[in-house]
Amino acid sequence: MSNETVIKLDNVSVFQEHSAVVNNINLEVKKGEFVYMIGKTGSGKSSLLKTLYGELPLKQGEATVAGFNLKNVKRKEIPFLRRKLGIVFQDFQLLSDRSVYENLRFVMKATGWKDEAAIKKQIDSVLKKTGLENKGQKMPYELSGGEQQRVSVARALVNSPEIILADEPTGNLDPETSSEIMSLLLDIAKSGTAILFATHDFILYNKFPSRTLKFENGKVEQLG
Amino acid sequence: MANKSTISKLKTSSATVIVSLSLVLFMLALGGWFLINTKKLTGYLKENIGFQIYLKETANESDIEKLRKDMDAAIYVKSAVYKSKEEAAEEMKKETGDDFVAFLGYNPLPVSINVNLKSEYANPDSVAWIEKEITTNRIVREVVYQKVLIDNVNDNAKKIGLIVLFFSGLLVVVSVGLINNTIRLSIYSKRFLIHTMYLVGATQGFIRKPFILKGIRNGVISAVLAMGMLAAFIYVVTRYIPELLVVQDENWLLILFGIIILTGIIISGLSSALSVRKYLRLKAEDLYF
Repeated sequence: MSNETVIKLDNVSVFQEHSAVVNNINLEVKKGEFVYMIGKTGSGKSSLLKTLYGELPLKQGEATVAGFNLKNVKRKEIPFLRRKLGIVFQDFQLLSDRSVYENLRFVMKATGWKDEAAIKKQIDSVLKKTGLENKGQKMPYELSGGEQQRVSVARALVNSPEIILADEPTGNLDPETSSEIMSLLLDIAKSGTAILFATHDFILYNKFPSRTLKFENGKVEQLG
Repeated sequence: MANKSTISKLKTSSATVIVSLSLVLFMLALGGWFLINTKKLTGYLKENIGFQIYLKETANESDIEKLRKDMDAAIYVKSAVYKSKEEAAEEMKKETGDDFVAFLGYNPLPVSINVNLKSEYANPDSVAWIEKEITTNRIVREVVYQKVLIDNVNDNAKKIGLIVLFFSGLLVVVSVGLINNTIRLSIYSKRFLIHTMYLVGATQGFIRKPFILKGIRNGVISAVLAMGMLAAFIYVVTRYIPELLVVQDENWLLILFGIIILTGIIISGLSSALSVRKYLRLKAEDLYF
């Protein structure tokens, strides 16, 4: 694990509309770290992630994510912040109107890749890494839930992000598939990408222990 | 999550948009065609309004020829036709069936020049000053025209023009509203896709571009289909009312074609851009409402 800090939060409070859902978060995440965010539904895990990827504005505190100061980030800079991140959602959020390959190609084209040969090489590489070598031409609806989540992880990886923000990525999956996705994400973390993993699945947390933040009563407590 | 039926719906939504756009643009083109034809028809009616310049018995050939040439050259004249005493008598004989020259023993009809005005001068004010100007000529006995007819044609043309213009304007407003709604609905069905695109790092411009291009493409296809429908409509109508061919103007039809294509492109492209912009500004939870 490198010593380079990719996420730094100082006294951050997370707001939904006008009310704070979590207060005074202080956090430092280094490159290659795997950090759990556990807590009940509504405890503020997703809201913190949304704040980190610019969906919710940072109203209080100081936050730096992948070199972007969230306090000063302008609306038009948000896509550039997101290019440094990979985001994995519980409901996958794949582009349902195009194949797996085109889902990944869209992200690459959107983030400035022009050389089609390089795009193909990178997509083939991430599809292999996520165990989807033969699924490139499939449409999302032709895949199982676990496979769709792997596509979501592949999409998050395609731009070699510094950080992956995973919002309940195993929430819709059976225990066995959840473990597969976890193993995949842990492997990705070992290769140097920091991962913030929000979940309320304590079994998973016990099976794959790592640094943990507990969200409870509007506060964040560090465990272990 | 999308299934096969959803994908199929997404693909056919484009065809549905094109059909709806075509029908609305056809309505608009029809309104435009009525507007053009009303203008041409009133112009045609006005240009058929003529007046006669009756000349004095003492007028000699060269003076008459000079006046006819002056009339031909006047900016307000569409056509000036010389009519000799004999031609006038022959015409009247045909109309009445009586040989009044034989009955009277002489031809009382004067030499005349029949003048048809250009439509823009066939109004009471212009006709009054034209009459005044012509009567100053020493060989002119009198200028005869039907003032009431000119007044009526002008009044009715004005009223019909205003009514058609009002309905055309209304049609434009309704068309813009309908096209905008159709496109907004089509893009509404893709709001989650748009949001996801934004989440994975695409800029707003990158997301908007394909939607705008598709909007423009749909606008062009719809405008061509609409003009095809208009051409078919004109073909059928002129078969039953061949008189309409008289007022048909291909140049104006080409201009109308251009206007309809531009309207299709602008409204469709702009509506697409604005709709995508709206969904890019919404938060994920607001997309459900």
